[in-house]
Amino acid sequence: MHSYIRPNTYIALRLPSGTLKVLEIIPNTTISIGKFGAFPSNLLLGRPYYLTFELLDKDEGRATTELRVVPASELHAESFAEDHATPAESRDEPAEGGGEFDIVGEDGELIMRSNRLTVDDPSRQKLSMDEIEELKKAGTGSGKEIIAKIMASHMAIDEKTPFSLAKYTLRKSKKYLRRFTALPMDVSLLSQYILEKEAHRVMELREEMLGLIGSWANVHCAASSRVVSSPDGRGMIGGGRWLVVDDTGGMVVAALAERMGILYPEETLDDGDEDLEQEQGQHQVPEDPTKERKLSSGQDGPGQSAAADTGTDVMMVDAPSPEPPQLLSETLQSDRSNPPNRRSDNTAPSSPPKLPSPELPGRASDGSAKETTDHTHQKSRQPRPIKPQMSALTNTLTVIHSNAQPNLGLLKYFSFDATSPVPTHPLYTNLKTLSWLQLLHPSEDASSIEPEVVPDSVLATWKSGKRGTYYRKRRRWERTSRVVKETRAGGFDGLVVASYMEPAAILRACVPLLRGAAMVVVYSPTVEPLVELSDFHSKERRVAYLARQNNGIENGKNGKRNVEEGAENNEEDGGEADSDFPVNPTLLLAPMLQTARARRWQVLPGRTHPMMTSRGGAEGYLFTATRVLPVEGKVEARGRFRAGKKRKVASDATAST
Amino acid sequence: MAPSPFLDPGPTSTSNTLALLHLKRDLLVPTVLSSAPPTSADDYAEGKVTNTRFGSFPHSTLLNQPWGTQILASKVDTGSRGSKTKKRKRDGGDTPRCIEEDGEEFKGGKNQTAVTARSGFVHLIPPTPEAWTLSLPHRTQVVYTPDYSYILQRLRARPGDCIIEAGAGSGSFTHAAARAVFNGYPDEEPSISTIEPAQNGTTAPTPKRKKRYGKVYSYEFHAPRAQQLASELRGHGLASIVRVTNRDVYNDGFCLPPLQTSSFSTEAPSTLTPQADCIFLDLPAPWLALKHLTRSALSPSTLHSLSSPSTPSPNPTSNLTTQTPPTPSTFQSPLNPAQPTRLCTFSPCIEQVQRTISTLRHLSWHEIDMVEILHKRLDVRRERVGLAEEGLRGANASAATVEEAVHRLREVDGRAKLFHELQMEAKGEDVEEKEGGEGKKEEGSLRGKSKFKVEAEAARLSKQRRLESIKAKAEERPLFKEGRLLHRTEPELKTHTSYLVFAVLPRAWTKEDEERCQKTWGRGVKDS
Repeated sequence: MHSYIRPNTYIALRLPSGTLKVLEIIPNTTISIGKFGAFPSNLLLGRPYYLTFELLDKDEGRATTELRVVPASELHAESFAEDHATPAESRDEPAEGGGEFDIVGEDGELIMRSNRLTVDDPSRQKLSMDEIEELKKAGTGSGKEIIAKIMASHMAIDEKTPFSLAKYTLRKSKKYLRRFTALPMDVSLLSQYILEKEAHRVMELREEMLGLIGSWANVHCAASSRVVSSPDGRGMIGGGRWLVVDDTGGMVVAALAERMGILYPEETLDDGDEDLEQEQGQHQVPEDPTKERKLSSGQDGPGQSAAADTGTDVMMVDAPSPEPPQLLSETLQSDRSNPPNRRSDNTAPSSPPKLPSPELPGRASDGSAKETTDHTHQKSRQPRPIKPQMSALTNTLTVIHSNAQPNLGLLKYFSFDATSPVPTHPLYTNLKTLSWLQLLHPSEDASSIEPEVVPDSVLATWKSGKRGTYYRKRRRWERTSRVVKETRAGGFDGLVVASYMEPAAILRACVPLLRGAAMVVVYSPTVEPLVELSDFHSKERRVAYLARQNNGIENGKNGKRNVEEGAENNEEDGGEADSDFPVNPTLLLAPMLQTARARRWQVLPGRTHPMMTSRGGAEGYLFTATRVLPVEGKVEARGRFRAGKKRKVASDATAST
Repeated sequence: MAPSPFLDPGPTSTSNTLALLHLKRDLLVPTVLSSAPPTSADDYAEGKVTNTRFGSFPHSTLLNQPWGTQILASKVDTGSRGSKTKKRKRDGGDTPRCIEEDGEEFKGGKNQTAVTARSGFVHLIPPTPEAWTLSLPHRTQVVYTPDYSYILQRLRARPGDCIIEAGAGSGSFTHAAARAVFNGYPDEEPSISTIEPAQNGTTAPTPKRKKRYGKVYSYEFHAPRAQQLASELRGHGLASIVRVTNRDVYNDGFCLPPLQTSSFSTEAPSTLTPQADCIFLDLPAPWLALKHLTRSALSPSTLHSLSSPSTPSPNPTSNLTTQTPPTPSTFQSPLNPAQPTRLCTFSPCIEQVQRTISTLRHLSWHEIDMVEILHKRLDVRRERVGLAEEGLRGANASAATVEEAVHRLREVDGRAKLFHELQMEAKGEDVEEKEGGEGKKEEGSLRGKSKFKVEAEAARLSKQRRLESIKAKAEERPLFKEGRLLHRTEPELKTHTSYLVFAVLPRAWTKEDEERCQKTWGRGVKDS
């Protein structure tokens, strides 16, 4: 997907100093790379990524600024030189003395210069500051001349050891070489970039942790997953839907979306072919039929209506549609009557979407949905091909946010703006957002009130602007109530948390929304919150919890009911959590706490060693566990040693750690 | 064919799919669920049964259960099954039993209902690459989760990509890679959407233009291992995503003949090259495979220079391949020409890394970077310290505070004083008795000693009583929240797995390309 540099996308330029410069590349503009100069953006457009370019200014016979592709052989030239030099030396090297640096061979021949003669004196560089500045102003070549001159005027360049010479050359190249490398903007690069610049913004989330999070959460592309409704018919089980609590400004969402194949706008998915429509068809079609039908059912969801945007005026951006405003349900209505033709504009009509009715989530309300939409049905409008926002059934991310709006600012690097999403971006349909208030107390949410349904005859008399507002409001209400309903119905495939909120409180609310065997992954930059969380799931605590639960059962059904109600309360709400049992410890299996760190090495002939310095700060830790469905009643574990003796433990302690 | 349980396990367990029985965190037992009834007296009366250290689990109790359910063990007579034939005595560590003894004739074709045992349980979970990595049959060194998650992240293996994996080994990376690149089942799409739309209503209708499906091309030198991996993948429903090839990639490269065996995978016969976006080499000598991973045929001089810096190489295979370089006319690059190709090699030794990187530099790879992953798992527990913990398990019974220590010292001191006084008393009596007659003396010493003994006994008893009372109190105490919460690295620590070398090969960029680009985009602001 990053086959060449496309206009109006974000790219990163890596300068010789190693710093990254991220910019949106717009045709016919000038890109400035600080002291190294500037060049027209068109010289980069269309070129492949990962190439290193050298800036050639427009004097010296060149009419314009030019970029020269630096071949790899030139980039590696230095190590090649040593490659041939050092083996020659190292062959004479005695095995035991190979590690010493200041070596004179047995016959007195100088094998490696030692630093015995090194003089620590800045005056050995004969070029003065001003002279160097002048050289720079002259701007000849691509910095190589400057470096060469500096090297040449160093009095004791030949007194340097190969190591210090290499370091010296490297330092000078970093400073003067007018080169840069064009890199594609993807999740790994973004994480590096943000980590260097403002690590706190992404909770100091390092790349290795992103990888671990994705793996342990079992996040993958699930566009072709089956749609299976939950036994109570209110929601779905599985289907590749993940619940996310993200305080990293969208970093975690981006990483997960990348793994699900919904991060990059479709047009960048292919190589060279600009056929947008078709691309969408490819990626999104699988979900559409059910998606849209499901939407209709959300329309009359009793009581759980709520709006994702909490009644602010963001609804205005909610309808970025170029088409005339139109009630979604209308589209659906016509869809239902004529499904095969519906998508004929961008997909082959060969496979009419036929979901078996029992598998259609929330389909019980279909009838009433029809009622609400019947009045609009008379108007025969062409159904528009745009899918409603947040309407995908499978392969979705549901973000729960603590502010009125989700903070997903980093998604802008992938052409997605959460406040005014573009319908062509896969996240438009596959990223769902709702607030904690909407999740836990939908009835208290200000925007939960269903906008009044205005009959068509009245609508026809309205001015178009007013009508538009009316439709927008309806649409927004439909969307949010749908998302709230399906989220509350649960059945998610996993929960990924990277949040400053107390993890136990998040888990108390979210774990019940997970299907059996779903993965729970909690990231924290520091270990303490996760240590506490692990302790809430400790073996001892679980035993105590079970004992209390069983006592409740033995004390009569009342007791049991109390326990259940307690659990219910916990599920419904942050509620008053039991201080001893902030979470139900029996819901998670095999809690594990881990951390990983990549250690970088320098590999050069004869100079291979781990990097001398690296980034400190928060280490980053991960709590992982599996959601399980414990059996009711008393369960006895079987101990390790069963031979002969009936050795039994009156709890599940031994078995399930 | 049903979707792979790795990618879409469905809501409940179904027969003929892989399921994992979770016993302990690092102990998972893979089993293929089966509803087949017993067919002979040798079989269990309950049908297929999986025996674990936490009990026996007839598959009838495992089937059609929501994933993640806690399953109770069943009373399975593992004792006397098929005793008459005495054939399967050691099968699954079970000894046979006689069905007839139970007053039950063997009736084939019907599963006896399982009876729940008094204790024992497991959790039923669907396979994931992580769980599989823990439970797979080891054939070689396994690439564990911390490594493969980082590798796949760095390789940017995304849905729809094609990835080359050489040195498939035990298949842990294979499964993770398949998950990473998966974006649909290539050969099943049409059949499902036409025949069984009900089963899979979400499957895409065939798009107008050919969609690129994610694919793993897996190469393994060792034929039995390749066979086994292929059959595993078939069982896991991943056969259409992974193509396993038994091959020596040092010599034969990565381009594949059109598929003849449908067993390994299926693919359009026209594609001969994997068109790889990502490459993972878990080989002993990755540098020998690199010459096949180029965008164009290598000139003989390059090939020569590749082998020359490492002239002392005693490897005969390298010579072998340099003698048979692919001629430019037949050369086909296994790489995707339209994308940058990312590579990772996985080598335990630093010498391998050095040679690999040297070769990568000669072959014009960019962004060469070497890292190692240090992964730790942490133990969390509560540490209880204090005299009140005396005799309790999992606690430290030394004094928790200075005050406690002082208090204890005073107590001991007082007891010593008492003890000393008693001794003195006994001695005094002795002296007294010495002064008296012989007989009296013996009696007296006995009396003194017994008094001493009684006291000692009392002290012992008091300790016993103390311990008992501590124990009794502990029952009441909420031990799970007492003590200090601590964490430490788990006892088993992998300090080194392998070095990871990463590199990127940009697209080929020729003068013609550059000219074309200049025509399209012009020369920029000032020109336009």
